[in-house]
Amino acid sequence: MVARRYIDVFETYDRFAEGRRIPEKDWDYVIVPENAKMMKERYDLHFGSNIIPDDPDLIDRLFLAGVDMLLSTGIYNSDLGMVLDLDEDELYEGLKMAPKKLKLGRGKDRVTCKARRGNTLRKPIIQGGPTGAPVSEGIFTSMIQSYAQEPTVDTIVSGVLNTVDGHPATTNTPWEIRATHAEIRYVREATRKAGRPGMCI
Amino acid sequence: MLAGWTTVGDMIMIEQMPIFGGYTGGVEETAICDVATTLGSFACFAGNFHLDGPIHIRWGVTTAKETLQVAAYAAAAIDQNTDLLLANQYYPMAGPCTEMCLLETAAQAIVDTASGRELLSGSAAAKGVVQDKTTGMEARIMGDASVATCGMKIEDVNEILNKLVPSYEANFTNAPAGKTFQECYDVKTVKPTQEYLDVYDKAVQSLRDFGLDIKH
Repeated sequence: MVARRYIDVFETYDRFAEGRRIPEKDWDYVIVPENAKMMKERYDLHFGSNIIPDDPDLIDRLFLAGVDMLLSTGIYNSDLGMVLDLDEDELYEGLKMAPKKLKLGRGKDRVTCKARRGNTLRKPIIQGGPTGAPVSEGIFTSMIQSYAQEPTVDTIVSGVLNTVDGHPATTNTPWEIRATHAEIRYVREATRKAGRPGMCI
Repeated sequence: MLAGWTTVGDMIMIEQMPIFGGYTGGVEETAICDVATTLGSFACFAGNFHLDGPIHIRWGVTTAKETLQVAAYAAAAIDQNTDLLLANQYYPMAGPCTEMCLLETAAQAIVDTASGRELLSGSAAAKGVVQDKTTGMEARIMGDASVATCGMKIEDVNEILNKLVPSYEANFTNAPAGKTFQECYDVKTVKPTQEYLDVYDKAVQSLRDFGLDIKH
């Protein structure tokens, strides 16, 4: 059946709300493990010892197994306790909506993230940063600068401020918002100090 | 929040970290679920790029052989069949200013680059849980190892990984804690210490000995 169109986030919410109700423990302990095992057998998947695959047929079978897993199992919303189902045409219409390249950053510091297709000569985008690790307020800017000043680093991923103005940045309090704004200020300051003010953060 | 961001045209990154050894079981089952959830992030949640991060249930790292294998297979499967933009994130076991931390980070950069990923995001040394134990030097090895890997034959890459990964995995039970940013850099000038530069040189030499033509 041809899809009417891709599923946007609003329809996704509705699909969850009107979906199948399943207890979380059934999803975690029964449905996902059993279906994944079934897909492994159905698509005859055995990786062997090499870390990176070089058998195109095995790689394709894994892709089909992933598609089958998604379509036959659905996606679970643990807040609602409901499962969303989508069909194959909706899946591929959604994939068509995804960008094939993204422009990241501004001015001379802008880089393009573009589909590579295998191990091409073009290097991936290098996003440097603490990747969510906790960082003290007093050194936040210097630490981020240590990433921004690396020539191979193209964009920045931030860390997490433990305090803001000396106050704990506790989750679900107003201080969390203040800490988030401070993080952005510090990261911008760090990229400016590194001479790369337009870096994507 | 997602509805607001998509409505105003923000760029959407969907993050998901499948757990090897958890509900999904072994490497093949975890990779199947990784492919499924990655595709779902684009099809149902308006993702523009996807940030992966297969993590090991026993070690809490992304640099173990099994989690590298899950990441590589999932990326290769999606890369071979779509033009979706794929990223991966880094959680090595060892802390900064140790050769082990740099080798772990390099191993994952080699895997992510060779399996066709578009963006490498890291690195959260010391598993990303210890305050101030991350520095720009780990991103330097991530970039240098990635550049050295670009264009290599997969067979040759696997040969390097088959020597490199066991060289640090043996130390997972007693990994070096490493040093804080304040101990690795002059915080005012933001220059790395000579000690860390020497450790970096040693790690690069080890990577060359394993067969990677890395320059710096």
